[in-house]
Amino acid sequence: MKDSLILGGRAAREALRTPDSLFPSVFIPLFFLVVNVGQTARIFPTDSTDFLRGQSYAAFQLPSSLLLSASFGAAALYLVEEIEGGYFDKLRATPIPRMAIIGGRLWAELIKTAVLAAVMVAVSLPFGIRIESGVLGFLLLIVMVAMWGVVFAGFMQLIAIKTRSAAATQGASLVFFPLLFLTPNFVPRNLLTRPMEIAATLNPVTYIMEAVRTLVLDGFEWTALGRGFLVIAVTGAIMLALSVRLVNNYD
Amino acid sequence: MSSMYAVEAIDVHKRFTGKDGEVDAVRGVSLGIERGEVFGFLGPNGAGKSTTVRMLTTLMTITAGRALVGGLDVAGDPHGVRRRIGVALQEAGLDPRQTGRELLVLQGRLFGLSKTDAAARAADLLDLVEMVDAADRRIGGYSGGMKRRLDLASALVHQPDVLFLDAPTTGLDPASRLTVWDEVRRINERGTTVFLTTQYLEEADQLCGRLAIIDGGRIVREGSPSALKSELRARLALDADPTLDEVFMDATGRNRARVAGDVQEV
Repeated sequence: MKDSLILGGRAAREALRTPDSLFPSVFIPLFFLVVNVGQTARIFPTDSTDFLRGQSYAAFQLPSSLLLSASFGAAALYLVEEIEGGYFDKLRATPIPRMAIIGGRLWAELIKTAVLAAVMVAVSLPFGIRIESGVLGFLLLIVMVAMWGVVFAGFMQLIAIKTRSAAATQGASLVFFPLLFLTPNFVPRNLLTRPMEIAATLNPVTYIMEAVRTLVLDGFEWTALGRGFLVIAVTGAIMLALSVRLVNNYD
Repeated sequence: MSSMYAVEAIDVHKRFTGKDGEVDAVRGVSLGIERGEVFGFLGPNGAGKSTTVRMLTTLMTITAGRALVGGLDVAGDPHGVRRRIGVALQEAGLDPRQTGRELLVLQGRLFGLSKTDAAARAADLLDLVEMVDAADRRIGGYSGGMKRRLDLASALVHQPDVLFLDAPTTGLDPASRLTVWDEVRRINERGTTVFLTTQYLEEADQLCGRLAIIDGGRIVREGSPSALKSELRARLALDADPTLDEVFMDATGRNRARVAGDVQEV
């Protein structure tokens, strides 16, 4: 733990020194938020759309943007750069558990995603979005988005270690786009067409999106929150198990 | 077992399995390097030098055979081995977004030093490699020579018993190369065993008390530079001692021929 925190400090410093790498994490999700709301808000007026719970359509779309932001982490690309440049081997030659090398970047990703999510929510508030679950719900929302950011970054790091290729890692990150759109992204699940509803039900991202959305629109809806955290716990456990195996057998 | 050696390899093999089938990169390397030696490991490209170093430094698994470093089994106690070795690999693996000082402090912390001790050790090492002035600049802006010297310093943070240097002067200009040679001599004078791979025969001649030449994954010559030269002189009945280049050419079965007006290695 101590070693991964030390390396986490380094990774956080690295993120602060490359602010241009943070820019897409905020700009692109906000861009999608503005464009999606601009194109569809008139279809879903606040006063006659039940699923908006009296808020604007932007409040419904905010969770998608937060999850998109969480998937823009550059941790895996920095890792590939270190593998190619030899610093990864330098770290492997130190007497620390090898998982600490992966864990360090995940700590930094947790902090970075939490800060960016808080910034995005703060930017959204003046546009009439409110967090129905209050301050506690806001904190829970940030924790959930940050944890998903860690899980996603962890899977990207797995691809980085396995392929040792920046191109393959960057390409793999695009996998998230279909996953994000095979969700109740524009309307609740019960309003999707049957094939899309099945796809969304099978997609784990759906449950995280619904959990975050419930904090924005409904308050504390514990069944949705439980499902969201369960998905994060299960995917996180799979990611960690695969990471330990891969990094310990790295040759 | 065999603790008289700082590094000992016993019939070490490495086999890679890839899409194109199996490749035996190292085929039964056996070495014994005494404490305090500067040992040179030479060979042409693809001969197995770096693979051997990566196995001895725990960065790569050994397919067959056994290796001991600092008296510890590389496969059985890799953490123990890592505490006793310093490693500077071919790529001068450094983090370009950190400063030189930050990199050394981080390295010290990963070897268990407190923040204060790591900072003090970093300051000493920056002084040793004459990089005090550049210490707080980011590594991305360093020259090739500065990166090599910093890499060397980072390998010394925990005062290792054995220092592995994989092609430490590749790509450096002559002045930077001489500086690295001086560093290696200074480090060795402090009692550190140095295992050095190089393609520069002059470097091996200057620095190494003993050397081995590897070709095709096998050791084909081993001894002191002067002994290897004398052996070749006697065997070929030469009038004068050959150069280490000639020993290398003889050992690896390579020679140079003039083809279409150019000198080529064949």
